[in-house]
Amino acid sequence: MNAHREPPRLAADYFDGISGRANPVAVWLDAGQLHWAAEGSPPRAVAVSNAVWPERQRHGQRHVQLPDGGVLVFADAPAFDTWASASGYGESGVVRWQQSWRLTSLALLLFAACLLVLWRWGIPAAAGAAVAWMPEAVEAQIGQHTLAYVDRLWLKPSQLDAKAQADVLQRFADAANAARPATGPQPAYRILIRDGGKLGPNAFALPGGDIVVTDALVKLMHDEPQAVTGVLAHELGHVKHRHGLRQAAQAAALGAIAGLVLGDFSFLLASAPAMLAQMDYSRDFERQADLYARDLLRGAGIDPRVMVVFFERIEKIADDEERHGLPIAFSSHPANAQRIAFFSQR
Amino acid sequence: MEHVVDAKPAELAPAPFVPRQLNIEFTGSGSEYFRIWIVNLLLTLVTLGLYLPFAKARRIRYFYANTHIAGQALSFHGDAWKMFRGFVLLAVLMGVYAIAGHFSQIAALIAFIALCAVWPALWRASMQFRLANTSWRGLRMAFDGSLKGAYLAVAPLYLPLIAFVAMTQFAEPPPTGEGEADAAAAAAMATQGLLLLAAMAVVALMTPWFLTLTKRYQHNGFRIASQQARVDLPASRMYGLCVKGTLVALIPGLLAVGAGFGIAVAFGAFKDQEGNTLGLGLMIFMALLLLGYFVCFVMVVPYFAARMQNLVWSATRSEAVSFTSRLKFRALFWLTLKNWTLVALTLSLYRPFAAVHTARLRLEAVSLTASEDVAQWSARARGGMQDATGDIAGDFFGIDMGL
Repeated sequence: MNAHREPPRLAADYFDGISGRANPVAVWLDAGQLHWAAEGSPPRAVAVSNAVWPERQRHGQRHVQLPDGGVLVFADAPAFDTWASASGYGESGVVRWQQSWRLTSLALLLFAACLLVLWRWGIPAAAGAAVAWMPEAVEAQIGQHTLAYVDRLWLKPSQLDAKAQADVLQRFADAANAARPATGPQPAYRILIRDGGKLGPNAFALPGGDIVVTDALVKLMHDEPQAVTGVLAHELGHVKHRHGLRQAAQAAALGAIAGLVLGDFSFLLASAPAMLAQMDYSRDFERQADLYARDLLRGAGIDPRVMVVFFERIEKIADDEERHGLPIAFSSHPANAQRIAFFSQR
Repeated sequence: MEHVVDAKPAELAPAPFVPRQLNIEFTGSGSEYFRIWIVNLLLTLVTLGLYLPFAKARRIRYFYANTHIAGQALSFHGDAWKMFRGFVLLAVLMGVYAIAGHFSQIAALIAFIALCAVWPALWRASMQFRLANTSWRGLRMAFDGSLKGAYLAVAPLYLPLIAFVAMTQFAEPPPTGEGEADAAAAAAMATQGLLLLAAMAVVALMTPWFLTLTKRYQHNGFRIASQQARVDLPASRMYGLCVKGTLVALIPGLLAVGAGFGIAVAFGAFKDQEGNTLGLGLMIFMALLLLGYFVCFVMVVPYFAARMQNLVWSATRSEAVSFTSRLKFRALFWLTLKNWTLVALTLSLYRPFAAVHTARLRLEAVSLTASEDVAQWSARARGGMQDATGDIAGDFFGIDMGL
């Protein structure tokens, strides 16, 4: 004769979803079916897979949601857990992790590790892929937009005479042509000379290949014109590696992750780590551009040490400015000393 | 655990029902939610965000299961896979909006207007989804607000904001020329400055009206069984609250700025000396400005939250239930201060604890008075509310939909 083990029963309240009345019932699990019966009433059953099972927690009422809209409410949560496991009902892996402090600590470590991997490798790789996917026409359009904006706000037409401007362009074109065997194919570019006013000696590259250099920079290096070539080569490096777009993509990704981790408080705290991470990415970009510049200069037969004079003069100007203005706490360029050392290498 | 409400045997003549108070108890634990939160975060990061709707479903379920009204907890019926579909749809919408901004100003403007046009509908859908998937004692809740009502409710702030954005987008800046361009540019900047001030004034005037209409729309739409909520919220009380709140915000802010100025002057920051003194004085000034900003927030946000909750919920009632909210600003202020400090110190690991403590304070300040036996309530025939797009939308825009 089969000794059929009677499945354990547990007391619960049944709400049928039509009235707010609580009906005391006994509940038991048998052969994949969830049964419940009130005193003196025929039992009802649903398949366990059709019911929504609560997760094991220390706090909180256990509710089993029934497919027809009713709910089974268990007042004693630990009794429910005991009964559920005695009836052979397991729990998901996620719940196991959540209820164990050891596993949670492991999860925390994994989370920190993931963040680190994302920061150092994941985000730059994703940004690179996103940028590679972006068509050049769109990139050029973004560049045109930015140029129009910058032209309107900060720049005026160049005050240098036509010959001086032509010299700068010609010198760079010659160097670029001579260096092509060494640097490989160069991106399309256009050099624009402008009066930068308060920008001082400066140069920047826009997405799409427009490179802007200010009169002040050309005048600063009037006795070392090849230094201007070096600066333009550095900016061309930015164009080649599409740093402008990468920067925007990485900033967006950083913002999204900071928002995820910091949630409601993100507006206060996200800016600092995101900004620092941004600075770190910027230094990577600048190093890459410096490398390209040095290769181009060497390929064109120009001594890279011509850049050393440029850095020294820029540093002096920055020091002068610091005395009268805000202290510069963070910098997106690697320290001048590092760059001088880089360009002085044999 | 004994039930507050029990069914009486049929033999006895039913005694007249004495109105009884139903209290809210929140039993959530910070350390337990911390573990849930960490695992959620890890899974979300590893799946590059795809797990987010599932994490949210788990979070809602935890908070609901720990919210006891008269001994019976709330129940969340939302299907996480439906929420995932809504999440994907919204990610696509937001992605299109973000990319449009890079193409051209016209595309950005069109995307912005499209998003604005669809946002009240998403907001309504979000409330419908959340409430239709919430039940108490097996009875499902519902949101009955109309689509037209949603658009009318947001109109006071929407229309001026859209007009302002359109004006700034289409206002042509003067072309850069030579000499006289500077004067023209200055005039244009002055006009823009005045426009900005006018916009801020309109926003300041319209915001309390906007809050009144939206709160009314929300609370008039809540329903459970045959109970339809109604709220009695005069606009004048909302304006009064906003004025008081602004004063609360100004005082610490002005004090901090004043102290900053004083210290900066004491350091001789405005005399042209060597860089060091200037740098230090300026940095102290900046630090104090930040402190003032922080204090403002720690004071203003809890002030508005507490007073708004009290104002709106104490005015809400249905046929048989009336609500009372007695959240003290001081209690919320100290809790907020503690939360922010600990979140900053623990690099945000304290966030789940902060969420649980805040939820407890805010929920347990609310109590209900029922003038009939809730066991006698019966559900109305319900239509299916299956669209989960709106719920995730609520989170994307950072608006809190929860009760």
